[in-house]
Amino acid sequence: MSSDLVCHLARFGRALRDSGVKVSLSDEADGLAALTLVDLGDRGEVRLALRTALKIRPRDVALFEELFERLWSARDERGSSNPPLAAPRLASRPRPAGKLPSRRESEARAATAAEGEEPGYSREAVLRRKSFEDYSAADAAAMERLLERLALRLATRPSRRRVPTRGRGEADLRRSFRRAVAQGGEFLSLARRTRPIEETRLVVLCDTSGSMDPHARFLLTFVLALRRVARRSEVFAFNTALVRLTPWLRAGRVDLTLDRLASQVPDWSGGTRIGECLAEFVEYYLDELIDGKTVVLILSDGLDRGDLAPLQGAMRALGARARRVLWLNPLAGDPRYEPTARAMAAALPYVDRLLPAHNLESLERLLPLLAA
Amino acid sequence: MRPEIAALQEAMEGQGYIADPAIATALFLAREMHRPLLVEGDAGVGKTEIAKVLARLMDTELIRLQCYEGLDVSTALYEWNYQRQMLRLRLAEGEGKGPDEIEDLIFGRAYLLERPLLRAITRREGPPVLLIDEIDRADDAFEAFLLEILSDFQVTIPELGTVRAEHVPHVILTSNRTREIGDALRRRCLYLYVEHPSLEKEVRILRARVPGASVHLAEEIGRFMRALRRRRLSKVPGVAETIDWARALCHLHSEHLDRETVAETLGCILKDQHDQRELGRAELDAVLAEAVG
Repeated sequence: MSSDLVCHLARFGRALRDSGVKVSLSDEADGLAALTLVDLGDRGEVRLALRTALKIRPRDVALFEELFERLWSARDERGSSNPPLAAPRLASRPRPAGKLPSRRESEARAATAAEGEEPGYSREAVLRRKSFEDYSAADAAAMERLLERLALRLATRPSRRRVPTRGRGEADLRRSFRRAVAQGGEFLSLARRTRPIEETRLVVLCDTSGSMDPHARFLLTFVLALRRVARRSEVFAFNTALVRLTPWLRAGRVDLTLDRLASQVPDWSGGTRIGECLAEFVEYYLDELIDGKTVVLILSDGLDRGDLAPLQGAMRALGARARRVLWLNPLAGDPRYEPTARAMAAALPYVDRLLPAHNLESLERLLPLLAA
Repeated sequence: MRPEIAALQEAMEGQGYIADPAIATALFLAREMHRPLLVEGDAGVGKTEIAKVLARLMDTELIRLQCYEGLDVSTALYEWNYQRQMLRLRLAEGEGKGPDEIEDLIFGRAYLLERPLLRAITRREGPPVLLIDEIDRADDAFEAFLLEILSDFQVTIPELGTVRAEHVPHVILTSNRTREIGDALRRRCLYLYVEHPSLEKEVRILRARVPGASVHLAEEIGRFMRALRRRRLSKVPGVAETIDWARALCHLHSEHLDRETVAETLGCILKDQHDQRELGRAELDAVLAEAVG
């Protein structure tokens, strides 16, 4: 093996790392082993072999392809007919919010359709599909009750893994038997095992800028309801700055809590700087609050004209560490919505799911994803 | 292209699996480097099928471990056969054997129930293909345990001692990416991401798997699926769905796609009620127009 190849691969590995793609030394060793096994004259094959051996994930493919094009010297003509893989998912034409087709209209249609379809037409069924923007005060109260019921479902989810218990539970034959052997083959007592209740841990980052105004209150209500059952949850608000809201969350009337929150957040209903705020979160709170069991919930419409680099860096860090990153976007409730707003498109590759959050039904569909 | 890779690709095709160079290269490397291959991709793009085809190609046994939340060692690795142990225990007592003797007796190989992982490393007739399916559904604890097995291919059973692999199995892990696989496990494996097939590949798959479908129909179906996957769906249909649909259309003796047939058989490809509702009549017509041209 030529030392030339080793140097080349090391340089390539470093370039990948510098761009934020996780490539370790052991990955590079794998890359080298793979290169000895393929036809080095076939550029396409080298590319595929490196993708496999360096374990390039789909979200990093675009970067990998770009660096490969640039750095991997073309010794030969491109021997392969492979089409270049998925182009970067950055939006080419950001569409201003105002151009979106009227959501109210389609929402109203959905609501009427619901009334016709649901066999047991009920006020609740309509409420579930009604957009938050169209809510009356009475609706809001009904929603609170509904949300509480929803949240409870999350709380009572038992873990699938069984653990030994001293109390009641199913018989644990393996442990019982071992115990019996120790007691001369007599089953004096049965060992038991059970499924513990798992507590979900949520970190919620809520956009409270002007464009989110009709939604922020409802989403925060939802978050407050969730917090009764997922007590270890943390809540942050952001617009032009990041504010930790957790200390202000107290049991009690939701509307009062919300007013208290609004007074804590400077520039409520102002502009947004999503990227900078998320980068701040990553810098100060990531290590403390996010682990492999945390579900991160970002509530934002992704309408932001700021710099994209901090946003991408922060989203990558969040995605790598959290169990799941969910982005709730009220605009996504419209069937014609495309995530083309600049910030939204830039964040998308690092988000596990982009979900609508414009009515109760959409929040309901979210619940299974929140479970630990 | 290296001839072995081309040969592998061709052999897979001979088994009815249309593999693109990415799949063949990854599989070749995993085999040559004796490393597990982690295959990720959306549901229904043919991840599990890779392991099945590999087993057929190598003319060996396919041992499958289906993962789920809470999967534990007694289901994945081994379990003692308690009933038999119990009977033997009572008999041994009757024979007047001492406790140490009894323990040696009932914790013997004969009372061990092999689960997939143990079976994969104790198979004597040559290396099997071990398929660890949907690893993303198992939890972190199981992943850590798996990492240990995949590093050493040996298992320690407290009562019995260490069991070493007779032959190192060919391991394929699949994941639907419902959860990110831990870095350590990922490092241990080689990696392949399977995308939805290109139009040309999908038509070839259809021709291979559904011989009853005409070229014309296969192409229409391929274009329809391509157009459909561009829409926003919560469950994007995979190749498995395409094949089901093509079979259904063959049974209905459809020679080409029209509005009525598509509407009747939409359940084959859109398996989410929400998706079916969202994709209204007008949208469906647009997709169909792209397909029929």
